[in-house]
Amino acid sequence: MMAPEEYKRMVKRCLRCSICKWIPQVQIKNVNHATICPSMDYYNFHAYSGGGKIILANSVETGRIPMSDAVRDIVYKCTACGGCAVACKHLNSLEPLDIIQALREKLVASGVGPMPSQRQYIDAVKQAGNPYNQPAGQRASWLPSDVKTHEDADTLYFVGCTSSYRRKEIAIATARILNAAGTRFKVLGTNELCCGSPVLRAGDASSFKELARKNIESISALHVKKVVFSCAGCYDMFKVEYPRVGNVPFDVVSSSEYFNQLIDEGKLVLKNRVPLKVTYHDPCHLGRGAEPYIEWKGDVVQMLPMVSLNVPEKPKRCGAGGVYEAPRRVITRIPGVQLVEMDRIKEYSYCCGAGGGVKSAFPDFALHTGKTRVAEAETTGASCIVSACPFCSTNLQDAIKESGSTLQYKDVAELLLDAIDTAPPARPKK
Amino acid sequence: MVLDKDIHAELAAIVGLANIDDSDAMTDVYAYNWCMEVVNQMEGKDPVPYSPRPLAVVLPSTTDEVVGIVKACNAHGLTFKAQSTGLGPWNNPSTDNCIILDLRRMNKIVLIDEQNMLAVVEPYVSGAQLQIELMKLDLNCHMPGAGPQVSPLASATSMSGPGFTSPSTGHSSRNVLGVEWVLPDGQVLKLGAAGLEHEPGWYSGDGPGPSLRGIMRGLHGAKSGLGVFTKVGIKLFPFPCKVNWKVTGLSPHYQFEKPELMKWYIVDCKTYKSAEAFVQRVEEHEISFICSVLSNFGVSAIFASSIESLLGNAVLAMTKVPVVVLVAGRTRREFEYKTKVMQCIIEEDGLENMAGTKFEPPSISYAEALRSNLGLHGFIATGAFQSSHGIIDTLGVCLNATKKNIPVKMKYINNEQVANDFGEAVWSTSFEHGHMHHAEMLTLYDQTNPECVKGIADYFNDCNAMDLVQHLGIPFFIDGDARHDWYGPQCSNYNTWLRKIKTALDPACTADAGFYISPEKASNTTRNEKV
Repeated sequence: MMAPEEYKRMVKRCLRCSICKWIPQVQIKNVNHATICPSMDYYNFHAYSGGGKIILANSVETGRIPMSDAVRDIVYKCTACGGCAVACKHLNSLEPLDIIQALREKLVASGVGPMPSQRQYIDAVKQAGNPYNQPAGQRASWLPSDVKTHEDADTLYFVGCTSSYRRKEIAIATARILNAAGTRFKVLGTNELCCGSPVLRAGDASSFKELARKNIESISALHVKKVVFSCAGCYDMFKVEYPRVGNVPFDVVSSSEYFNQLIDEGKLVLKNRVPLKVTYHDPCHLGRGAEPYIEWKGDVVQMLPMVSLNVPEKPKRCGAGGVYEAPRRVITRIPGVQLVEMDRIKEYSYCCGAGGGVKSAFPDFALHTGKTRVAEAETTGASCIVSACPFCSTNLQDAIKESGSTLQYKDVAELLLDAIDTAPPARPKK
Repeated sequence: MVLDKDIHAELAAIVGLANIDDSDAMTDVYAYNWCMEVVNQMEGKDPVPYSPRPLAVVLPSTTDEVVGIVKACNAHGLTFKAQSTGLGPWNNPSTDNCIILDLRRMNKIVLIDEQNMLAVVEPYVSGAQLQIELMKLDLNCHMPGAGPQVSPLASATSMSGPGFTSPSTGHSSRNVLGVEWVLPDGQVLKLGAAGLEHEPGWYSGDGPGPSLRGIMRGLHGAKSGLGVFTKVGIKLFPFPCKVNWKVTGLSPHYQFEKPELMKWYIVDCKTYKSAEAFVQRVEEHEISFICSVLSNFGVSAIFASSIESLLGNAVLAMTKVPVVVLVAGRTRREFEYKTKVMQCIIEEDGLENMAGTKFEPPSISYAEALRSNLGLHGFIATGAFQSSHGIIDTLGVCLNATKKNIPVKMKYINNEQVANDFGEAVWSTSFEHGHMHHAEMLTLYDQTNPECVKGIADYFNDCNAMDLVQHLGIPFFIDGDARHDWYGPQCSNYNTWLRKIKTALDPACTADAGFYISPEKASNTTRNEKV
């Protein structure tokens, strides 16, 4: 979605300074938690860094190398977490993540991309409405009989494919919390469609736009005022990407933001003590990735030859507009819960390893990254990782299991439910 | 050229298949670097940011693997080039039969010897990583101007190495202690105390026997032209003050809890003569953590986080010859002494400290100064800059050169080939509070505009010529055969001796000589420069 002129201009400008491999330099607190790029940490060659991919884009753009399987493999062995972009833009102004996304779209357009497993799930989204190729009719099977929904509600809970089919405990907890707060809400049920995140990240922009338009259209037809998301990936799509496709005539709210509001309004009472020391993992798509694009209409004023200024100042997407405080507020308001932070948090958080199509195409890489994050969580002394994304949930739980860690994993909604529910329902065994 | 399958298999057997890549996609990325377009322009080639493409990139993880790769290169008539964090064209091949050794997997802090104040690191430990471990022991390391993300090993063994904290943390060339060095033929040589047969250590860079430090790196380093450095001992320094390292806020608007015993001074000396006197007095008293002569553009940049804040620093933009000094104390008494001396010098010289009065340095500037992150601010304005000269001499010579450089640069400013800084941009610092200083003249340009690239290349040639004619020493970018052979006859024929060193250690020129010098009768050098 990067403008072609901007892409052409920007791919020529990497300084090869390697800043994109590290969290912002002033934030480095631990020798083992200094890096930001999972791809570099696993594959090591410079081409896997944000800067390396900018150079790769330049090599392709200038005809030095053709689109090839080798180019494709480098570009897709990336969780598209955007850490490189935060690091680069701390002082510079390149957009490595946007360039990676544009490269993926070019790979798809040229028939070289995406990876075969990604092609399969794109086809599944087109056919079944979800990347897991599960029957659409079973999409609402997560919904327990005791959860009340209201067809006339003006709040919609958009569940997302992963919580509908794979991480049902998150959907259940979210729905129960909404019930407990007395929020009248409804779900799309079997009519819910993939938000398009996996399709977009794989580089199929045209299919994504089609999905986005369908979702905007179908939800608009419901005349709801607010749509609540417990999936970071879906939230990112609706908050950041959909407005670039069309008008979104409803409020887009993450579940943790909404939970806070409900607590503030006294609709949720946290009556149970939950004696847990937890650390919070910022999902990329709820954190730095969830910062909306703000359309800038201004003038580029040439102050001196080669030195120009944007008037008014052009907003720089450094991740500051992500959702960071809301989940932390929910966690710290729960009686008995102690929050301890990891070294890499908020806009410079380390990715869980699942995003960007990596979990399906390069599971070894995804698992390695997840284990890296779990190891960092363990250094905090917490007994539980809390996050707010079903995709992070899957990969971090896989990583916990694989690394033999004793850490628990909970979604913010699950943790909150423990604090409000008088008789918490049994959750699936970890 | 394409890498022979048998050689690929041989290298893969050394590093593992996952750690070698010879695809065009990968090797082309390693052919790219910052300022490569300027090097190409200066050599009469297309001004593209690419060098010759390496045949393959390998990622060794141990010294033994480095030895294996180097021996394989010798056996098959290939050249090799080693790189650590890899910033700058010096990391790139100059031949089309080169293997890149990316030392990224060699990333361990081997030793921190608190008592003897030294650390031993592998090539891919970054300055920030080392510093964060040292801070636990109240120690600090020197980091070059390139920033905290680059390799202290590369700077200590193979490059120049002034940094913003040079007054208090020295110069990379002077901080190097024991070294583990894989020679161009694959032998491992340990220099200094590391080479002792009995009770080896890392505490000395000289001996056993005659010191080889000068041969190993000289003034500006051999840029991998004499082999691969796999471990280095480096001197450490006391951390300059107590600090609670807590950075708050979200990027790019970070805040930092200003250390109590730390204070910026921004003094506009108005003239180079006044700046010389002021800096000499500051350094004479050994009170600075940082002490740099800058231009108005430079001082605006180091306190900015964006082009908007850079151009918005109107007070700093009005300065003529600004000097920035950062004073830090480990005890209140030390801090009070230093600040009193500073105040005294400022008053006696009839100057004024703008920091805290006319301009409030952002709190994060203290963290950036401590972490040596100020040099990267040079990229804020245009996204590209490079320095010319690179003088190491007295402050008087450095500032004289700064003055003389103005008309040289103005020609290119008037042609709109480089950004207009009135020709005054400079960064000059002492090292170790001594009388020797470093000065480089920063130039902002547009690396994507061929006319600008041509301009900056011509300007660099003019700067090099100026240094020669005006006796300003050997600048940064005198490297490669043609430039050494141009400079050498005017400077005690040093090029002859440099070539003898290369010939003795690498007669077949297996270690890429593109940014060093070729041996006598070498067949492996293809860098055909024009000066």
